[in-house]
Amino acid sequence: MTQVQLRAVRKEFGSFVALEHIDLNIASGELVALLGPSGCGKTTTLRMISGLDNPTDGEILFDGKDVSDVPVRDRNVGMVFQRYALFPHMNVEKNITFGLRVRNIPAEEVEARLEEILDIVQLTQFRHRFPAQLSGGQMQRVAIARTLITKPSVLMMDEPLANLDTNLRGEMRRFIRDLQQRFNITTIFVTHDQVEAMELSDRVAVLFDGRLEQFDTPDAIYHRPDKISVAKFMGASNIFQGTIGDGVVKAGFADLAVTGTQQFDAGEQVDVMVRSEAIRLLKQPQDGAANQVEGEIRTSDFFGATVSYTVQVGDHQLNVDEHSTEKLDPGSRVFLQLPGDRIWLFPKRAN
Amino acid sequence: MATQDTALEIRSERRSAAQRNALLMRIAELAPIVIVLFVLFGGALVLALLQSLGFAPWFGINTFPDFSYFGALWGSSAFWVSLGLTLYYGFVSTIIALIMAIVLSLALIKPFRGKILYKYLYKLPLMIPYTVGIALAVLMLGNGGILSRLLALVGMIDNPGDFPQILKTHYGWGIMAVYVWKQVPFMTLAIYAVLLGIGRETEEAAAILGATRRQIFFSVTLPQILPGIVSSTLICFAFNVGAFEAPFILGGGYPDTLPVVAWRYFNDANYAFQLQGMATVVSIGIVAGVILFAYLAVYRRYERMRGRA
Repeated sequence: MTQVQLRAVRKEFGSFVALEHIDLNIASGELVALLGPSGCGKTTTLRMISGLDNPTDGEILFDGKDVSDVPVRDRNVGMVFQRYALFPHMNVEKNITFGLRVRNIPAEEVEARLEEILDIVQLTQFRHRFPAQLSGGQMQRVAIARTLITKPSVLMMDEPLANLDTNLRGEMRRFIRDLQQRFNITTIFVTHDQVEAMELSDRVAVLFDGRLEQFDTPDAIYHRPDKISVAKFMGASNIFQGTIGDGVVKAGFADLAVTGTQQFDAGEQVDVMVRSEAIRLLKQPQDGAANQVEGEIRTSDFFGATVSYTVQVGDHQLNVDEHSTEKLDPGSRVFLQLPGDRIWLFPKRAN
Repeated sequence: MATQDTALEIRSERRSAAQRNALLMRIAELAPIVIVLFVLFGGALVLALLQSLGFAPWFGINTFPDFSYFGALWGSSAFWVSLGLTLYYGFVSTIIALIMAIVLSLALIKPFRGKILYKYLYKLPLMIPYTVGIALAVLMLGNGGILSRLLALVGMIDNPGDFPQILKTHYGWGIMAVYVWKQVPFMTLAIYAVLLGIGRETEEAAAILGATRRQIFFSVTLPQILPGIVSSTLICFAFNVGAFEAPFILGGGYPDTLPVVAWRYFNDANYAFQLQGMATVVSIGIVAGVILFAYLAVYRRYERMRGRA
């Protein structure tokens, strides 16, 4: 188990700044997701931790020791590439044992470790097959086995599930989580999929345009985002402008009682965010309910488990996700409740 | 029952008619290339073979089938010396060009200043004819050529005549220099394209797994660029074995390479020697064919062993 730290890491490619002052402390045995849109610098971060790229500035520390100048082959890290990067001319066995053979590990130990890892990744019967003869999921497991057999101090995965179909992706998520817990290895993986990041990781580092926006638990990232950019990226939201009043936020369509108004000055302009699944949709008004507004359904889209509505409230449109037990038609009059403890306020300057 | 049988027969006939039509269609589609191959290449091959076996009525010779031309050729020790020389120039220049092309391809994969310009420059010899390359070799590498004069000028040798003889020796340095000069860009083109296709990820994976640069090259890169190596060496070796101009102009004289031997037969005032020349040409074809087929067979076996059909 290894603690990984990035201190003020900066990476430039010519005049392009790929990463700007990244500070990251990853605890031993932690599973961390680097999350962000394409081109935000998450793969670059991974490549620098692995040693494939060097930072232009800053330090990378393993257990407090600066490894920025340690060559890639001496870092004892493992990397699972997005397209697996299996050696096409080697069978499963040779692929998996490559890391041991190049380190001149005795043949008996290689064989013993191979048997063990083949059993763990359930590939014993495929040991003589070549990558071209394997499915995507099997190739993924070979790539993971090839990495784990070398007992790396840090395991890194670049978009590990991106090339798998939906069903296999769920299965592989559980598989990766189980393996990580079994080996208790510090793991960093890159993804642009919010669900994947939240389901798999202990903490999520959200990156935008080469900057670390927030590094926290999935729960905090989703429910208590620091910035509106993070809030937007993490899922369907309603975002509108408001002005701080006396314990309320004056939105265009209603004065909403919100928990966090005391952090702002009266009259201050804020961005208001409420997630679409946090809003309750009722056919009849509820007496005495706070933040209840009346509106008319404009659109309703069926997504299986949920129905997504667009509701016109005054001159605002709010998105609402509800369970699909009953689907209401466009034109229906409805009442929306916006729970005050699930409305988030962001100062305008943070955006 | 009878109606059922008739229906089955009709269906079977229709199916075979459809298969026939599909086959005819396929032949028609392949016709342009098949005609060119059979008439131009195949026709010439058949004529060469017939002549080498004594069939040349236009010269008033028809002793077909007559193996004496091959007998005379293969029975002479000069033929085997010439064959050895031909294969020596072919093998050595192909291997030197291959090593240089691999190094160049690996360098080209990496980013460096002026890469775009360099990518144009290295291809220049591809656009220059072999004969120009031979002339350049004479001008540059001869005793009295530019290189010898330059070395004399800077005092490394006393006079241009002291320059070591590169051209017109049986070591064939001049011949091989021309082959290498022309073929390095060609091989680089093929290997570089394969390298671009495989990308850097497997090499990076190997580095992370602890492999040294040497291990990465021999265990990961080389096996993956084999398709480019095999195709380009195949073409270059076949050319080198059959090439005539460079050994004729830059070679060391008797014993000559087989293509030069063949040319001397063809150039003889006695037309009857053309048949001997054809036997020489067919011999070159047989030797090159056997070597190249064996090479391909070994490579295909290697590919099959690695799960690639």
